[in-house]
Amino acid sequence: MLEVAVARRLDGFQLDAAFTADTGLVVMFGPSGAGKSLTLQAIAGTFLPETGRIVIAGQTVYDSTQQINLPPQVRRVGYVPQHYALFPHLTAKENISFGLRQLSRREQEQRVSELLELFDLRGLEHRRPRELSGGQQQRVALARALAVQPRLLLLDEPFAALDAPLRGALRQELAQVQERWGITTLIVTHDLADAFALGQRVIVYDSGRVIQQGTREEVFFHPATYRVAEFVGTGNILPAVVEQVEEGTLWLRWQGQRIATAPAPFAPGTPVYLCIRPTQILIVRPDRLAERERETLLCGHIVSEMMQAETYTLHMRLEHSNAAHDLEIVLPAYVYHRLSLDAEKRLMVELRRQALHVIPRDVGAT
Amino acid sequence: MTWHPVILSIQVTIVASLLILIFGLALAVLLARSHFPGKVVFETLINLPLVLPPSVVGYYLLLILGKGGPVVEWLGWRSLFTWQAAVIASAVVGLPLMVQASKGAIANVDPTLEKVARTLGSSEREILWRVTLPLARRGILAGFTLGSARALGEFGATLMVAGSIPGRTQTLPLAIYDAVQSRQYDLANQMVLLMTILSFLALWGVRRLEQPT
Repeated sequence: MLEVAVARRLDGFQLDAAFTADTGLVVMFGPSGAGKSLTLQAIAGTFLPETGRIVIAGQTVYDSTQQINLPPQVRRVGYVPQHYALFPHLTAKENISFGLRQLSRREQEQRVSELLELFDLRGLEHRRPRELSGGQQQRVALARALAVQPRLLLLDEPFAALDAPLRGALRQELAQVQERWGITTLIVTHDLADAFALGQRVIVYDSGRVIQQGTREEVFFHPATYRVAEFVGTGNILPAVVEQVEEGTLWLRWQGQRIATAPAPFAPGTPVYLCIRPTQILIVRPDRLAERERETLLCGHIVSEMMQAETYTLHMRLEHSNAAHDLEIVLPAYVYHRLSLDAEKRLMVELRRQALHVIPRDVGAT
Repeated sequence: MTWHPVILSIQVTIVASLLILIFGLALAVLLARSHFPGKVVFETLINLPLVLPPSVVGYYLLLILGKGGPVVEWLGWRSLFTWQAAVIASAVVGLPLMVQASKGAIANVDPTLEKVARTLGSSEREILWRVTLPLARRGILAGFTLGSARALGEFGATLMVAGSIPGRTQTLPLAIYDAVQSRQYDLANQMVLLMTILSFLALWGVRRLEQPT
């Protein structure tokens, strides 16, 4: 469906990214300045790479070796840049019909009218962009891009300009739009929550390169490297060593503790990172210990607590350990309130083997 | 007061303004959107009449429009000491004002808007007419007004290439000079008042254009 490989050297920056995507919602995720927007523009045809190849729905739109470079006008790609770039001198309706010049007046009217209906913009058609709210502007921009019936939709930071409460609603709306139109949609974001909520497929960018691509589950729960683990908010990335390989279990040693994980192809003595997301660490009540014998249990005490809207973030320190090895735990607020901690704030937690993920660690590298 | 200089001035200004609009816009688009070797030198040449003494501009125009000059030799057009020469002088002096203001306004249009227009299938020419120029219209209008006002007030270069022939090439500014020279102060007062009002209206119009609504 979509095949992208683009490279270009710029001032102090080297873009060299490659990925593939089929249908559905694809999120390009990574820190600002990682080359995500440039890649998007290269696909749209408004940024020229030096080398590479871009294939959209079987059609090669760019190929440096074959000297193919189709202009953006014929690529049939809907592009919604950051802040939407609505034409400020045109009304909502004129914005939407901007790309429909070649249609008859009647067809234009009909298509615009359908889109106004679909994006709930009735009554706003004669407003200028500056008279529209952020969410309305986004809908006009989507309608304008979809009006020309593109085969691919590119959205650059679609939620960056919006307040948090609106983001959630618009994420859902975007997912619905994608489903209704069945159009492959590439979304650039540096926001973890956006990436997690929308990305059926996730492409992780770092300094001009794609450092991992895969399904949401693969990328978020099985990051391939330390860097990806960091980006996707793994929270606990613990340097450990493989101790023993056993039928059905990989035993690691971390801070003097033996930890059981699912089998993975590592030899004893291999330095690894042990990853577990803060929300996946479970609190164990002492009276229910019996049911838990196959999993790793750790004891410690809470050294810091921070309250968020719906959750608590705790840091737990093991016996005889120090701040560098604290575990980060995130709990729903109601669970926290039921903990009834004693004065020493002692806690027992369980690291379930399905929640643990092991990645290789190059000794000497960070 | 004879109306001939007024009518001639208006006639010269209208034709000069048309030239300023067409050439000024083309040059502004060229300078704002493309890069070519010698661009800075080219732009400086266009702006030169802003700082050169009018007599120097007039002298160059004499060389270009006069006998042995390229316009006579190649085009066979003899324009010296006709009202058309006054038009050329006015346009050359008014042009840089138009180019500067329009270039700035065009360069200020967000290139992302043009990129989006491309992905929506618009050709470069369509983008110019439907996106770039409409968004730059205030700056363009301001530059056009300033350029036209400058053309209306042109004196020195006009004097050199068109002369000051009463009833033929004597525009309002030239007629004022003439009236003062021959001590016809009533006539001078009337024409000075008229020039002042016209110039005031032009500048006031520019101010209004520059203020966003």
